[in-house]
Amino acid sequence: MDRLNELDPARLRNLQRVGTLCGFAAGAWLGAAEAPTKLVTLGVSPVLISFMMVLGVFLARWSLPALVRGTATLKDDVRQAPHLLVWAALGGCLWAVANTLTIFAIKDIGLAVAFPLWNSNSLLGILWGTLLFNELRDAGRSRWIAVLGGALVMFAGATVLAVTSAAHAPGGNAVRGVVAALTAGALWGTMYIPYRKAYLTGMHPLSFIAFFTIGELVMMTVLALVFLGGPAEVWRELAASRGVLFWLLVAGFVWVVGDLFQQYAAKYVGISRGIPLSNTNQLWGLLWGMFVFGELASGGRGAVIAGSLLMAAGAGAIAFASAPAREYRRWQEAGARESARYGVDPAYVAARMAGGAPAARHTLLDWLLVLAATAVFVGSAMIAAVPALQIGWGWAAALTLAIFGMLVAGGVALWRTTRFG
Amino acid sequence: MDPTPRSRWRATLGDIHFWIPVAVLVIGLIVLWWIA
Repeated sequence: MDRLNELDPARLRNLQRVGTLCGFAAGAWLGAAEAPTKLVTLGVSPVLISFMMVLGVFLARWSLPALVRGTATLKDDVRQAPHLLVWAALGGCLWAVANTLTIFAIKDIGLAVAFPLWNSNSLLGILWGTLLFNELRDAGRSRWIAVLGGALVMFAGATVLAVTSAAHAPGGNAVRGVVAALTAGALWGTMYIPYRKAYLTGMHPLSFIAFFTIGELVMMTVLALVFLGGPAEVWRELAASRGVLFWLLVAGFVWVVGDLFQQYAAKYVGISRGIPLSNTNQLWGLLWGMFVFGELASGGRGAVIAGSLLMAAGAGAIAFASAPAREYRRWQEAGARESARYGVDPAYVAARMAGGAPAARHTLLDWLLVLAATAVFVGSAMIAAVPALQIGWGWAAALTLAIFGMLVAGGVALWRTTRFG
Repeated sequence: MDPTPRSRWRATLGDIHFWIPVAVLVIGLIVLWWIA
């Protein structure tokens, strides 16, 4: 492994800092994306809600990369590592099933409580990161303690919230809701295996998500057809729910912004640290659930806040245990292993891991994609109905402002350090 | 020698990392079937 180049320590620190910031920005946007799923209380099928969200995700995942980087650069990645298309699609399938499960969970045990349960995915992320991708190897005792201790504190917080769920379930089946949320956590924790695989093999995050979303859309279409009873029924339910389509397309779009940051976090700080950081979405979900939608107004807020603070403290401990140079070298070894297994140029992998990327190239196709996505959003907005829910609009505006602040901070840091590489 | 599509497929199917997400996806589908 002597041919692996040492990364400049200042560069490594910058990449770690940007990755950490991306993790927190991901948390803010992923948390906001879950809020529109509260519409399930209006009697729309959970599978249909997930399907409409995936439509929004699909639109965002082809238009945002087209806008930021251009689809022409996708070809470079496909040429270098075509096998990753299968991995990306597999990740998308995992996401679609997990997302559908979370909507059942929200229906049964509520947003504020379901969140921390599926956020147990961070424990799996640590396991997979360490076992499969050399993360935390040679990291030193203090970092191990911070990451493992943080994970245990997060688990304690999740337990507090799970116990609260039994007492404050919003009228659904608590056991079914808990099983749905935990299974979603297992799927979302394992989904990071394809993420990390891609970044250790040099794929660009924007290329990865473009193919990831094909897996998502195919899997979600199959689920909708099976669970709703065929194409005619899917169409009938879509037409009947057209008033909420816009809000769910927006949810999908917001989710993609969060996921983009999450991809960069997975790339630059690894999955064992990146997942807990993006799991701060639980705290954002708590804010949206309690203040915008008035969840837990009948009691249980104290326990939920205590559990959430525990989880946040655990995530914080993990965030501060950034990877030292000797651990980064083990990541490079894992990257070299992938290069050898799949026959990808090692120099290409090393350059991409260090944040290098070809310059953006835009073509007419990119602008057509952006235009088409915008047209769909505008069209659905014209037939949208304001949901008949008690909504705290002041809080909604404040939280929206906050997540845009995170977007600017994360976007500027990424551009300065990696040019979105 | 450049890898062929066939050799890349063989490498993917022989990679234990690939089968972990596949197994978890199947479990997720079973749970979803039970719940829905």
